[in-house]
Amino acid sequence: MTALFWNRRSRANLFKIGLGAVLTVLYIFPLYWMFTTSIKSPEEILHVPPVMIPEHPQLESYRQVLGLATDRQPLTMNALNLIMNSMIISTYTTFLTLLLAVPGAYALARFRIRGRSLVLAGLLIAQMLPSVLLVIPLFVLFRPLGLTNQYAGVILADTALALPMAVIILRASFLQIPVDLEEAALIDGGSRIQVLWHIILPLIRAGLIAIGVFAFLTAWGEFVFALSFLQTPELHPVSIGVYQFIGMYTTQWDSMMAFSSLVALPALVAFLFLQKYFIRGMTAGAVN
Amino acid sequence: MLEIIRRKSVRPGSNGFSDSGGGLSAGKRRKHFLIGNRIGYVYLAPVLIFLLVVMGFPILFSIVISFQDYTLETLISGKTAFVGLKNYEAIFQAPAFWTALKHSAVFTAVSIFFQFTLGMIISLLFVRAFPLSQTMRGLMLSGWQIPSVVTGTVFLWIFNLDYGVLNRILMFFSLIPEPVGWLVQGDTALLAVILTNIWLGIPFNVIILTAGISGLPEDVYEAATVDGASYFQQLAYITLPLLKSTILAVLMLGFIYTLRVFDIIWIMTRGGPADATEVLPTFAYRLSLVHFDFGRSAAVATVILVILFVAAFFYARNAALENM
Repeated sequence: MTALFWNRRSRANLFKIGLGAVLTVLYIFPLYWMFTTSIKSPEEILHVPPVMIPEHPQLESYRQVLGLATDRQPLTMNALNLIMNSMIISTYTTFLTLLLAVPGAYALARFRIRGRSLVLAGLLIAQMLPSVLLVIPLFVLFRPLGLTNQYAGVILADTALALPMAVIILRASFLQIPVDLEEAALIDGGSRIQVLWHIILPLIRAGLIAIGVFAFLTAWGEFVFALSFLQTPELHPVSIGVYQFIGMYTTQWDSMMAFSSLVALPALVAFLFLQKYFIRGMTAGAVN
Repeated sequence: MLEIIRRKSVRPGSNGFSDSGGGLSAGKRRKHFLIGNRIGYVYLAPVLIFLLVVMGFPILFSIVISFQDYTLETLISGKTAFVGLKNYEAIFQAPAFWTALKHSAVFTAVSIFFQFTLGMIISLLFVRAFPLSQTMRGLMLSGWQIPSVVTGTVFLWIFNLDYGVLNRILMFFSLIPEPVGWLVQGDTALLAVILTNIWLGIPFNVIILTAGISGLPEDVYEAATVDGASYFQQLAYITLPLLKSTILAVLMLGFIYTLRVFDIIWIMTRGGPADATEVLPTFAYRLSLVHFDFGRSAAVATVILVILFVAAFFYARNAALENM
């Protein structure tokens, strides 16, 4: 038994598990620390040496952040309101991205478009543009149109951030569907829109989910546009909420981490369930 | 079958030549059933127009005002004047610009070096399954889509002078005599934001490198093993050479994504203390939205743009070579 255990391969595996565990623990630590801080008691937070596993977990921090009754001082901001704003911005961004990306990617995959390689190169460059470079000109463009202190301006800007990658990924998805299938459906009398909607889109469901979630999370975490466009606090999304929380409540670490955990949650959940779609889309986009 | 196609192609108002849908004769139309159809431009138009307005216009506008005297006053009065290269002269003479450029170079180079090296080690480690490998790799990617504002806040807490866990752990092992003000003192702040950024970039590097490594042909390794090549020989003479284009793609994209990092720096240090973590994007942002000097800010933006374009050119050339 021991001889079997200590053969070459097991030793290699043991080494790999050990190294993997060390790297994983190091990597995951910040997220672990965020969550455990959020449920620690104030004494545990300040304790020396640091408390690795909270023994007196509390949820007051979450209650405080969500504006529920606690024995603590109420915050001047309400996470529920901020989450609502982010939901609105992210949902619209997702729909707008899909609405524009699907026909665009379909055209780039299926039609002979003059200057197609130019368009594709343009998309590659567009997805590299830093939002810091776009924010001032967009402000100048949006202000006379009354779009700055509104969800709309942020939604349009966030869509622009997500769109180039979305088109690149979706085009790769469309290219994997055989043209013959589409031709057959068209010959059977379907209109192009019908065929696209009823036959092709269900086949590229994975790609659609990936870019939908990608667009949603892009808008969910976006910081620069929201910071620069939205002056009214009632319109602020979660990213600005967390940023202002740091400035206003520097010592309430448990609530700060509770808020951060809430904001990180959609990304973690999405990743947990959609990991393979993400990775497939991501590699298709970056490598091709 | 031809009947159906012909029927479909003849629509009211079709003159047989210029109609977007059924412009070609039946035979030709069959041939170019899907590809030679002008309706494609109609599908493509919305996304192109949108991107031209919301991305193309801002970039052009930014380049134009980099040659203009464009401040809050002129923005309001609308009397902007072209001043040639004055903004560029001004930023190139400002020590702050060179400091930001230097920090950007250090930030980008160090971040990429460690992101890539760690990403490569992790990818190589997990590419062949062993017990728990899938779970571990899943965990290693979990931070990938987390909003940067969250990452910044969490590391702000970790690096905190008085209560941060990093100081506590280092002191527990007597590695430092007293707490280090990672983010509040000039000589460590850049290091702290770089560490944060390395953490941020690991999932991306792992995802792309793993995809590249899994795509390598198995039989080469089998042959090498039979010939008695060690793991590190296989790595140096097979894996890395075969992976060249993937590595180039990761490095180029990493360069582009790192050079433009703004959020975590603005959240953790706002470019400070003093200018210890000022990089080109924070410098540009400060010039415009703090000092309202839009012209000079645009000049810095154009410098960033030129650097990005050079990188994008090499990346695109690399990608284009791959696809041929």
